[in-house]
Amino acid sequence: MARYGMAFDLRRCIGCNACVIGCKQENSLPDGVFFTRTLSEEYGVFPAVNRVYIPTLCNHCEDAPCEKVCPSGATYTRDDGIVMVDNDKCIGCNSCAVACPYDQRSVMSKELFDDGLFGEGELTPFEEQGYGRFTPGTVTKCDFCSERVDAGLDPACVVTCPTDARIFGDLDDPHSEVSTLIRERGGRPPLPEKNTKPKVYYVT
Amino acid sequence: MATDQPAIVGDSFALGYRFQRYWNTSMASAFFFGELGAGLFIVSMFYGVVPGMIGGLVATGILKAYFHLAHMGVPANSWRAMMRPDRAWISRGIIAIAVFVVFGVAYLLLQTGAIFDLDFDAFGGAGGTLPQTVKTIAVLAALGVLLYHGFLISHSSAISLWSTGLMPVVSIVYSLLGGAALTAVLGWSAMAGEVPDGMPSLHALALILLVGLAVVLFSLMYAALNGSPGARVSMNLLLKGPFASVFVPLVVGVGLVLPLVLLLWAPATYMTSLIVAVAVLVGYFAFRVFIFKAGVYDPIMSFAPH
Repeated sequence: MARYGMAFDLRRCIGCNACVIGCKQENSLPDGVFFTRTLSEEYGVFPAVNRVYIPTLCNHCEDAPCEKVCPSGATYTRDDGIVMVDNDKCIGCNSCAVACPYDQRSVMSKELFDDGLFGEGELTPFEEQGYGRFTPGTVTKCDFCSERVDAGLDPACVVTCPTDARIFGDLDDPHSEVSTLIRERGGRPPLPEKNTKPKVYYVT
Repeated sequence: MATDQPAIVGDSFALGYRFQRYWNTSMASAFFFGELGAGLFIVSMFYGVVPGMIGGLVATGILKAYFHLAHMGVPANSWRAMMRPDRAWISRGIIAIAVFVVFGVAYLLLQTGAIFDLDFDAFGGAGGTLPQTVKTIAVLAALGVLLYHGFLISHSSAISLWSTGLMPVVSIVYSLLGGAALTAVLGWSAMAGEVPDGMPSLHALALILLVGLAVVLFSLMYAALNGSPGARVSMNLLLKGPFASVFVPLVVGVGLVLPLVLLLWAPATYMTSLIVAVAVLVGYFAFRVFIFKAGVYDPIMSFAPH
């Protein structure tokens, strides 16, 4: 069984946020909800100023704190390592959102679905076809586009990225592109001191 | 201007500290009433103050439950909250609350003989097996209620300010202090004498707990200011930043210094007990609210030289 993970090549990321838009389209996310974000960091003093772009998303941790704190069992890990949320079991207590060190959870508040994208109380056809997958009041997150992965495809953000800065694959396969990249370029996980064992790595 | 220190960035697509925004005032209220109710019940039980025991059960069983349900996104699914006692502190807490309310009410009914005149005497007196068993379970469950909040908040490493072993200690000290302060007010009419007999020991208990609270709060502040960057950012928000104008006066001034001064130097009157109780509860509630407000997530990484 594969153990899916992702690597970000920060030399390639140009901060275009196409991945963010691709993800929103693929998952029909309401206004203000993001399963992935590309953060930027500026540092230095003029004229020696630098900016780096840092894509973020759920890290599908091996030791997921969101799964440990979930009182209803809504958050669970598949055999392939993808951390999922069962909307039918979620009670909306937000404990997972508080417990995630990476702040990668999204609260699907009822107002998001009542107001619609244009805030006029009417949903567009796009929203109507997409919002049915969510339960208002629950907390959800990136699931590595699990339906696409099950169909043998890469997540939408990976496919959308114009510079191939996102690499997805089986971390247990030493010959996979993601494993090779992490090994050869010294991939590092975010906030390793939190002991969550994330399956997302950054290479520089 | 580019800076080398991560800032608090809110929801923007910038790297930096982000406020915890999922647990708000309703959740803080649930924590407050849950802990206070358990502490009030325990102290009132040992001083034989029935109104205090009733107040404790109402605070935990009704008020805490109300604020939790108000906070929950899917209240209809709330029964699922007790499904994971093997790993989730929320599940353990729900079970502790249920046991506390059931056995607390049972003990009250036994003490007052409210149902079919079945009081302690019907079961061998207050020291009888059944009353003692019910009492023990109620107290243990109440301890579970007031402790689980601290373990819940400290369990995850996400919010550095909260991730400390001092959180359960804060919970136990604040809840027993609130319980002692409120028992002194509610018990005034229940005890005999101008200054009720139990009042000096209650005031002494409150004084000891206030000193303990001062030590715990100072330890929390010291550990945060000298600990991880995230905890330092949070504590600076509370002590020097935008929350300082409310946190310091309410939590330290009203909630700690004022009751200490009154208990040490003011005459032991009902009014003194009332002011002490109000001051303690104001400080306690303010602590709960602002500890939630000041929680921040660490930046996931940084490439800036530090």
